[in-house]
Amino acid sequence: MSRRLVIPSVLVFVVGTGFILFLSPHNMRRVQAGFLGIISPFLKTGSSVDKKYRDFREGLKTIEQLEDENKRLIVANKELMATNQTLRGLEAESNRLRDALGYRERAVFKLMPARIISRDASTWYNEVIIDRGAVDGLKEEGDQAVLTEEGLVGKTTTVADHSATVVLISDEACRVAATVEGTREQGIVKGERSSSGSSPSIGLNFLSKQANLKSGANIYSSGAGGVFPSGVLIGQVKEFQMRELDGHASVVPAVDLTTLEDVFVVVGDSK
Amino acid sequence: MIFFFLLLVAMFVALVAQHFIGPLPVIGARVLLMPIIMFYGALALPTPGMLVLAFCGGLMWDALHMQIIGGNVEIALGWSIVLYAALGALMGGFRPLFQRGRWEIHCLLSGVCTSMIVLAEYLMITFRRDPVVFVFNKDIWWRIGGAGLVAAFLSPFFFFTLNYLAFLVGYDTQPTREGKRSR
Repeated sequence: MSRRLVIPSVLVFVVGTGFILFLSPHNMRRVQAGFLGIISPFLKTGSSVDKKYRDFREGLKTIEQLEDENKRLIVANKELMATNQTLRGLEAESNRLRDALGYRERAVFKLMPARIISRDASTWYNEVIIDRGAVDGLKEEGDQAVLTEEGLVGKTTTVADHSATVVLISDEACRVAATVEGTREQGIVKGERSSSGSSPSIGLNFLSKQANLKSGANIYSSGAGGVFPSGVLIGQVKEFQMRELDGHASVVPAVDLTTLEDVFVVVGDSK
Repeated sequence: MIFFFLLLVAMFVALVAQHFIGPLPVIGARVLLMPIIMFYGALALPTPGMLVLAFCGGLMWDALHMQIIGGNVEIALGWSIVLYAALGALMGGFRPLFQRGRWEIHCLLSGVCTSMIVLAEYLMITFRRDPVVFVFNKDIWWRIGGAGLVAAFLSPFFFFTLNYLAFLVGYDTQPTREGKRSR
C-alpha cells in the first residue's frame, strides 16, 4: 500500500516545495508573519514561565541577605536622590545655555517599550523576538530601530500582529552607519561572522587607515540611511587594526546583548 | 496516523522549546531538538510520511528562522524542506536495520545529519553574502560539530521516548519483526 504511494507522494512533495521556493520575498514575509503569529503565544507563555523560574531562583535569599540588601538600597536611594537634585539644577542650566546659544533641541524619540519573548535558536543569525507587533503600532515593513537606555540593540525585520523579529547589531546582516566620538571618522558597524549569541562581537569597518582609534572611544550611530537615529551609543572601541585598504576597529557593544530582556522600539519623533 | 500527528506536535513543541535553551557555553553551539524528532520520523515512518514530516518541519523551521532584511532573503523559505527530505532519505536508507530493533548507528547518524544541516545553512549564507568569504575558524567548526555532538548525545533519549510513545498508541515501528513472527 505504502509503496504504491511513494511516487505520487514524491510528486506532490516536489510540486509543493517548488511552489514555496518560488514565492516572492513579500509573500515569504507574509508566511513568516503568519507563523510568528501562531507561535508567539507559545513563546510568550514559555518566556513568562522561564522568567518566573529565574526570578524564583534569584529570589531565594536568607533574611540576613535581605536585611543587607535593604540597607544597601536605602543608602543607594539617598545617594540617588541627592544626585537627582544636582542633575535637575544642571539640566535647567544646560537648557538655559542651549537657548542662549540658539541650539535646536536634540530630537527626542518616541519609544515603545517591548519585552523579549524569545532568543533565536538558529546558529548563524543573531535575532530576538519581541512581544510588540503591527497591532501595537509597529510598521509592517519593519526597519525600526530598537534600543535600550544603554545603547543600540538592532532593528525590526518581520512584523506579525502581536510580535516582531529584531535583528541584533551583532548579526553580520545588520549594518549601522557610525561615527567615532571626538574624530571625523565614519564607518559601518556590523556583526562578525563568528559572532554568536553567547559571545557577540561587532566591528567598525571602512575607517581611514590613519584613524588610529584609541581603545575606549565611543561609537555613535550617524543617522545616515534613515533607519537608526543619530547619536545613539553603539559601543566602545576595543582594538584598532590597519588593513590593506581600510582601518577596522573591534567594538564592544554598549548593550549586553546576551542578557537583554526589555527594549524600546523607536516609533517616531515625539515632536 | 495518530503517531504521525504526535510526531508533528512533538516537532512543534521541540521547535518552541529549543528557543529557551541558550547556546552552549564556550563553544556557542545550539541545542537543536526538532531535527532529532524529524530523523526519528524518517526511520519510523514510510517514505510518504517522512516526506510530509520533512515538508512540515522544514517549513516551520524556515518560517521561524528566515531572515528578510530590506527585501533580501538569505535562505529562502523552502530550502530546509529540501535539506530535511534529503537527510531523511539518507536516514531512511538505514531503516531496515532500525526495523530489526537496532538504533545505535541511527543515533550517531542523527548527530551527523544535524551537523550537516548547520553546515549547509552556513554554506548557503556564505554564498549569499557579499563578498563571498569562507570563514572556517575554530568557532565556526565548533558550532557545526557541537550541534551534532549534542544531537547524538540526546537522540537515544528521544528515540527511546518516541518508541515508547509509538508503543502506547499501537504503532508498530518495526513491522518486519512482526513479519518474522508470523512466518
